[in-house]
Amino acid sequence: MAFINLQNLTYKYPLTKTPALQNINLQIDKGEFISVIGANGAGKSTLCYALAGFVPHFFKGEISGEIEVDGIASSKSTLDEWVVNVGLAFQNPFNQISGAKYTVFEEIAFGLENIGVPREQMKSRVEEAMKLTGISNLADRSPYSLSGGQQQRVALTSILVMQPKLLVLDEPTSQMDPIGTREVFEVIHNLTQSGMTVVMVEHKVEWIAHFANRVIALKDGSIFMEGKPSDVLTSDLLIENGFGVSRYTSVAREAKKQGLWKKEKLPVTLFEAAEGFKE
Amino acid sequence: MHERLSFHIKRDSAIHRLNPLTKLTLVLTLILLAFLTPWYWTPHILAVIFIPILSVIGKVAKEYFTTALKLILPAATFLFIMQAVFQPIGEEIIFHFYFLDVTQESLMFAFRNAMRIIVMVSAFTLFLLTTHPSELMSDLTRRGLPGQFAYVMISTLQILPQMQAKAQTIISAQRSRGLDTESTFLKRAGSIFPLVGPLVFGSLAEVEERAIAIEARGFTSKQVKTSFHEIPDSSNDKILRWSLLFLILVSIVLNLWHS
Ligand SMILES: Nc1ncnc2c1ncn2[C@@H]1O[C@H](COP(=O)(O)OP(=O)(O)OP(=O)(O)O)[C@@H](O)[C@H]1O
Ligand SMILES: [Mg+2]
Repeated sequence: MAFINLQNLTYKYPLTKTPALQNINLQIDKGEFISVIGANGAGKSTLCYALAGFVPHFFKGEISGEIEVDGIASSKSTLDEWVVNVGLAFQNPFNQISGAKYTVFEEIAFGLENIGVPREQMKSRVEEAMKLTGISNLADRSPYSLSGGQQQRVALTSILVMQPKLLVLDEPTSQMDPIGTREVFEVIHNLTQSGMTVVMVEHKVEWIAHFANRVIALKDGSIFMEGKPSDVLTSDLLIENGFGVSRYTSVAREAKKQGLWKKEKLPVTLFEAAEGFKE
Repeated sequence: MHERLSFHIKRDSAIHRLNPLTKLTLVLTLILLAFLTPWYWTPHILAVIFIPILSVIGKVAKEYFTTALKLILPAATFLFIMQAVFQPIGEEIIFHFYFLDVTQESLMFAFRNAMRIIVMVSAFTLFLLTTHPSELMSDLTRRGLPGQFAYVMISTLQILPQMQAKAQTIISAQRSRGLDTESTFLKRAGSIFPLVGPLVFGSLAEVEERAIAIEARGFTSKQVKTSFHEIPDSSNDKILRWSLLFLILVSIVLNLWHS
């Protein structure tokens, strides 16, 4: 059976009329790198919350259907048990700083202290995680003194250090520069190679095309399209429904109309575009 | 923006090595002694001799004296003058200034009170200089203070300056749209209103996100929490704490007995 299993999941926030998630069916295997795209309000964050246990354990409201991770149903678990297996990092890094710690090192150790990891293991785990995300040099800085991009790395590291089986990331690179974004994608890619499963909301489609195994396109709370990045991100249907696509896709699409793009398939990345135009 | 938002200065000294609770007990003892002992000169000796010596032992003398000169002394002086002038006690008038009489009693009284305040503030200053806030929090939670309570305490200390900075940003933003925050008091009171929205409602959504973030990091886990900082608590600490408590008790008894 799949590692993650969402079955007919429908969810409505309290006091709202339309469901934020509608009849979601989704199976994800262990070690997959899934990317979620969609317009504002499509339900991406809500999907993240559902996977991470915050829907329905933190946000109340009406829920139906099943959420299962690693054979355990979310409805049969409690939030504090759930977060040990499923890590969540989201967009605004400032609000993810605990505020209880004075250095980046302590900030990253915060989660380990909470779940009772012995002190002897703590140091090496924190150091290892910081090395992985390339922030070892920030260890003694105050988390509040960092740039947005650096804070996002700290937020990501603070979750990674807890070694979740499923990592849920809601726009984790929004404040990072291109180099930072690339590095984060590479780190996550490597983690999936060693068996971690990752679901990541992200708009940077070129990186998705490069690294993700599968793309889920959400629209109005439902799965609109799903499949390999090279298929989904170049589909006409997606473009016509207002999803953002890569500029190389847009250019090649125009070029195709004028007979300048000969290939059947549209490109997503610069490399694919260059290859295609060579022909 | 300060790199560090706490007073704590990382050094290795006998006082740094004390358990946070022991230090807290010491602070409490100093304050109670200053206020309770019947002997007139107790607060003076604590303020002028004992606490400065502690700051030297704690290797934070320089920082301590800077704070004392810049902050504690001016405040205490102000208090001293106010009390000396406005305290209507005693007969023997030393000098006269319009309708104000300064008597020897009021001078003595004000002097002691100023010293008491100095003891209180400087004992806390010393505490903050030599105690790591995370250590304090971990130690108190270990002793049974609810985790949530400790968290609120310490995060408020950290987040307040952030809130202040944010309020400043909002004010600048509103002012650049023509909001008046600099004229008369009444006008200003009225114009402060538009600031409340972003600060409070911004904060509510933020509070929710913050809650999610710390929850995601196992904050409400039922496991026994561990702490990265090794917190010292030697047998010396325990002996010292009990002695201090005894001292407090003695001063209370002496105080009751004398009055
Ligand atoms: N706490 C909440 N209470 C009520 N309704 C909410 C809440 N959070 C989100 N919603 C609603 O649920 C729907 C989905 O929101 P969600 O935040 O999941 O969208 P999103 O795809 O993450 O959007 P964005 O790109 O802006 O982050 C929206 O209609 C939104 O208004
Ligand atoms: Mg969102």
